[in-house]
Amino acid sequence: MFAHDGNPHVTSGKSKADSQEACVEPTDLMRKEHYMFLLHQRDETVVDGVRTKKHSFANCIDCHVSYDEQGKAIPINAEGQFCQECHVKTATNITCFSCHAAEPRFPQHSSAASKIDLNNINELVKHIENDK
Amino acid sequence: MINRRNFLVKSASALAITFVVPSMLTSKAYAKKPLAEKVTNKQSWGIHIDAGKCVEGCTACVDACNEENGLTGFGRPETDSQWIRKVTVKNKTTDKITTMPMMCQHCENPPCCDVCPTGASFKRVDGIVMVNQHTCIGCRYCMMACPFKARSFVHETLTQQNTNAPRGKGCVESCNLCVNRIDHGANTTACEDACNKAGHAAITFGDLKDQSSKVRIAIDSNSPRRLRNDLNLQQKVFYSNI
Repeated sequence: MFAHDGNPHVTSGKSKADSQEACVEPTDLMRKEHYMFLLHQRDETVVDGVRTKKHSFANCIDCHVSYDEQGKAIPINAEGQFCQECHVKTATNITCFSCHAAEPRFPQHSSAASKIDLNNINELVKHIENDK
Repeated sequence: MINRRNFLVKSASALAITFVVPSMLTSKAYAKKPLAEKVTNKQSWGIHIDAGKCVEGCTACVDACNEENGLTGFGRPETDSQWIRKVTVKNKTTDKITTMPMMCQHCENPPCCDVCPTGASFKRVDGIVMVNQHTCIGCRYCMMACPFKARSFVHETLTQQNTNAPRGKGCVESCNLCVNRIDHGANTTACEDACNKAGHAAITFGDLKDQSSKVRIAIDSNSPRRLRNDLNLQQKVFYSNI
């Protein structure tokens, strides 16, 4: 049981995750246990070279990062953004982003994204996919 | 005219061309590891550097490394991170000047791992010596232990890191043989690509355990040496024509 169970946050901007039915695991599980998946994957990746995408930190960012009206990615740990919003509310510090990139791995999204309709989430998803 | 004998010979040759030749070609190609599998000791990554081909003043490998890993300086050469650097040495007897790139030598017996108090400095089973920055406490013992000055400490708060090379203040870091690229199936490092592109081809990366890999061919045809062989660290970076 968490303090803000059933009280979802509204973050500014639009992300690929907005268009998805569910995360890589059931939403309830992800809300409470996402760090366990990350911790497990982190050791497997660094020590054993496992590079699967399902629980990959970089993939979390790619999907959950929001884009502003100019189509520019907003750092996911910025105020009011996906990671930060919840961590502030639960008073837990995220140290991931002192080393890890808080923006998607293809920052060149920004220039091309200015030409697309950001209210059309399918178009946004296609844009992100194409950039890979 | 096709008699029974000719027919058999021809079909056998056709079969051989269809199946045997491609298998010979593919056996030499690099076998890509599936992303979900752990690395094994079936491979052992290494580099051969032909100092005879390395050009003084060229910094293509250093620039490529900085680009690949997002190493940005703060204008403080004493403390800015460098994963690869150019070293120029002079033989006092012959006055021969040699210039070559210097990076983590990926020792089989790495002194950095011996002295690390947390196990953050470790050797992956495929021979890559790395820092696990999740457990590095920034004590810098490894920097003192390394005879090649291969490691750097991040002194400043960093922003805009590359996704494929997480790095931050308070941790030690060094060349990891472009581990992210290798795990995703690449068979070259950023420095090797840059050196080839610059037309020098002094750096050759590959699997030391594969008899037919480009690095083995380079090593077998150049009879290179390891630096400071007296320390018996069994490095996996080899130098020729020093």
